[in-house]
Amino acid sequence: MLQFFAQHSKLFDEIGINALLALSLSLSLRGGSLALAQAAFMGVAAYVGSIGAVRFGWNLAESVLAGALAAALVAALLALPIGRLRGVFLAIATIGFGEIARIAEINAPVTGGAEGFSNIPNDAGTLAIYAALAFAGAALLLFGRSKAALALAATREDENAARGVGIDVAAVRTRTLVAGAVIAGVAGVLYAHANFFITPGDFGFPRMEQILVSCVIGGVTSSLGAVLGAAVMTVLPEAVRFLHDYREVSTGAILLGFIVFAPGGIAGLWRRDA
Amino acid sequence: MILQQCANGIFLGAVYALFAIGYTLVFGVLDILNLAHAAIFMAAAFAALWLTSTGFPLPLAIAAAIVFAGLLGILLDRVAFAPLRRRNAGTLAPLISSIGAAIVIQGVARGIFGPDERNFPAGPLASTQFHLGPLTVGALDLVILAAALALMLLLSYVLRATPLGRNIRAVADDRIAAALLGINLERTIALTFFIASALGGAAGILIGLQYNSVSADMGGRIELKGLAIIILGGMGSVTGAVIGAFVLGLVETLAVASIGSSYRDAIAFGVMFVLLVLRPQGLLGKRALRAA
Amino acid sequence: MRVTILAAAACLAFLGPIAAPAAGGPAAGKTVKIGVIADVTGGAGAYGTSQKNAYLLAQEDLAAHRIDAGGAVLQFDIEDSATDPAQVVTLTQKFSGDGTALLIGPTLSSEAKKADPIAVRAGLTILATSNTAQGITSLGPCVFRNSLAEEQVVPEALGKAIARWKVKTAAVIYGDDDQFTKSDYDIFNAALQAHHIGVVDVETFHKKDVDFKSQLTKIASKKPDLLVIGALQEEAVKIVAQAKQLGLNVHAIGGNGLNSPKFIQLAGPAAEGVVVGAAYYSGNGYAGNREFVQRYTKRFGSPPDQFAAQAYAAAQIAARAVKDGATTSEQFCSAFKRLPVVQTVLGPVAFAPNRDVRAASAILQVKGGAFAFFK
Repeated sequence: MLQFFAQHSKLFDEIGINALLALSLSLSLRGGSLALAQAAFMGVAAYVGSIGAVRFGWNLAESVLAGALAAALVAALLALPIGRLRGVFLAIATIGFGEIARIAEINAPVTGGAEGFSNIPNDAGTLAIYAALAFAGAALLLFGRSKAALALAATREDENAARGVGIDVAAVRTRTLVAGAVIAGVAGVLYAHANFFITPGDFGFPRMEQILVSCVIGGVTSSLGAVLGAAVMTVLPEAVRFLHDYREVSTGAILLGFIVFAPGGIAGLWRRDA
Repeated sequence: MILQQCANGIFLGAVYALFAIGYTLVFGVLDILNLAHAAIFMAAAFAALWLTSTGFPLPLAIAAAIVFAGLLGILLDRVAFAPLRRRNAGTLAPLISSIGAAIVIQGVARGIFGPDERNFPAGPLASTQFHLGPLTVGALDLVILAAALALMLLLSYVLRATPLGRNIRAVADDRIAAALLGINLERTIALTFFIASALGGAAGILIGLQYNSVSADMGGRIELKGLAIIILGGMGSVTGAVIGAFVLGLVETLAVASIGSSYRDAIAFGVMFVLLVLRPQGLLGKRALRAA
Repeated sequence: MRVTILAAAACLAFLGPIAAPAAGGPAAGKTVKIGVIADVTGGAGAYGTSQKNAYLLAQEDLAAHRIDAGGAVLQFDIEDSATDPAQVVTLTQKFSGDGTALLIGPTLSSEAKKADPIAVRAGLTILATSNTAQGITSLGPCVFRNSLAEEQVVPEALGKAIARWKVKTAAVIYGDDDQFTKSDYDIFNAALQAHHIGVVDVETFHKKDVDFKSQLTKIASKKPDLLVIGALQEEAVKIVAQAKQLGLNVHAIGGNGLNSPKFIQLAGPAAEGVVVGAAYYSGNGYAGNREFVQRYTKRFGSPPDQFAAQAYAAAQIAARAVKDGATTSEQFCSAFKRLPVVQTVLGPVAFAPNRDVRAASAILQVKGGAFAFFK
């Protein structure tokens, strides 16, 4: 058992990181906000944390803290202009923001440019990743029982009605975005330290698509679903290695299958109100 | 030099326009952001490439590939969108569904053709140039511009002057009312997808020819630019998409000429972002802040 | 009877050495693991495929004793990194921990800059065969290269071009997101300054770009005498093709990224006349080269390019080190440091004290659809 774990530790690490990212998106989705900026937050945090670790010798905890803070700051700033956008327009605006962030990462002199940033200390082990995941999971669980979660759900159901009962919709959205950004930021720094090499391309639209797919497969409004969805999507390419060049097709087919036949995702399979 | 740069920008804009029209048409009619459009764009280019490599003459290969793209669009609708329509699934679901379909199409293309860039067999068009005063334009560029304009005019004619066009516009305006008026919804939608995908496919083939480069990830580059264009032009407005495309082509080209190429891509997204914040309906869009 | 036995013994003694033709080196009978990382697919696939072919041919030649490794077996483990920096990193990690004694590769300078430090940390000796940017051998005390650096070739190539074409002004277009192309810019620029050539315009592009018309139009408006191209093969093809389409008929010179038959094949008539500062000319008369070209062409259907030749030469160099007794990474490192001049298909090569290669350059020009010496 332990040997299996050791041999596949890289895979477990990946699952953990993808689970964190899926959790961060699921927060916004629970509020009905199609804010697709998690990959960008991840990237900002990853670069801040890595540059700090390499240039200033930060240890893992310091990198994670700095990265999460940077992501939160960016999210807070982003929330202002996109506050009035809904639905597809919000999605497009955040995708556009993601691209701008990626291009900024390519051109900023400190990041090493398009070729990536290397030699990041490899000190984020499976323990650190799953500790973060457990922490985030616990926090979300607690959150799920609070009034704030009700406010979030109300915002998703009917925004105008929510406003009618006194919920500050704008504040709810902003806080959700920032909270999600913190989680995504932590995931980003852990990713950088686990791989000791990052490129701006790691944090672009393909990554965002991957996170979205994980959430959808898991069940858009469920935290546990997000984690399970991430696990499935991470393991899938390995499980279908025998398909060689056609591996991707299985990812797309599964996504299509879920959306068309089981729109509640995995969580929807045991819940009935998805 | 400015004149030549403008010419460059216009040629670029023409292909952008062909792509963006398909995007905006589907959104206008169905409120769906079809992220598989770029995958069909790429699949058509490969289809044309494959056909020419097996000996088909180029014009025939192009025509066949365009039809292939249209049919692929109909198939896409049947598999990914029609089931969702039947159960009134909202707007998030079709978006995700289109992502799934795009991944499948891209995966198949990569599986068959490999991840590398593929090239068309060299032809006489690629190396002929004309000199019009201070301008030098390639024969291929002119052919592409002419083809793009012809297709756009054809679409305009169809939308304005044919019964099909009327039906499409009716469904775009109000789907339920259109059904009540006896319009065959599913058939109209299928034909909309055929037209939109055929145009997107044509864009893919023309770009593949122009730069002599076809690869499984060629859709990624233009997909996000396409988003910027339809936001600029206004989602749902075909004329807006065309104008937006030429504007973007010109702005990008002139920007590279003046400030250098590093931030060229950022321009499209910067403009898009600013527009979304200040004027989401773009230049000509009818749908303002719909609770989409 | 005794005479018979004596005669038989004499015959056996005589036959012994013949029956074991390549025996005798200190590493005889041992297997030496050599890891190869090459971009067989992806953007640099044109180069990596040539390299892989060369190693396959080298393995056959080693088995047939055409390359002498002193009786040891060289086991090449060739992995495709698909021009993906992440895969180069993963593969370098793998080779750094599985008993590999020598790492040959990776294909691109930018990949080397990212991944070599990992091998250096693990004490794995590296032989680069196609990294030509600045700052490669300084990555570690056991990083060697048998590819002529751009800074060794470019000044000579540029000097010839300037003299031949009476160049007064030049424009440069280069990729600003790759170590090799950026390095090309620095080196060409320095050489241009040294010759007092006026640089009238500098344009940049990114990898995977397909449209260069705006940059080329701007360059055309400045009317340079010479166009300097710092690009890898895929982009270089489009640059010269679009330059021609725009009517920019100017002399062009490029770094060794253009030194690939695929460049000529895809660019067609637009490649005619382009000068390339290179490290190998397939028509050279060095020992063993003609046979190498013949065997390679017969085996793979097209003649070897610079990348194939450098890869094959690396195999020849590694074999020589093994013949001298190297079987581990440290031994390779010291063997390379002490290496005498080795006769390879590139000509006679040796390592300089800074671990760069000492070899002849080949300044080539595309003439009639093929490379020829630039005169």
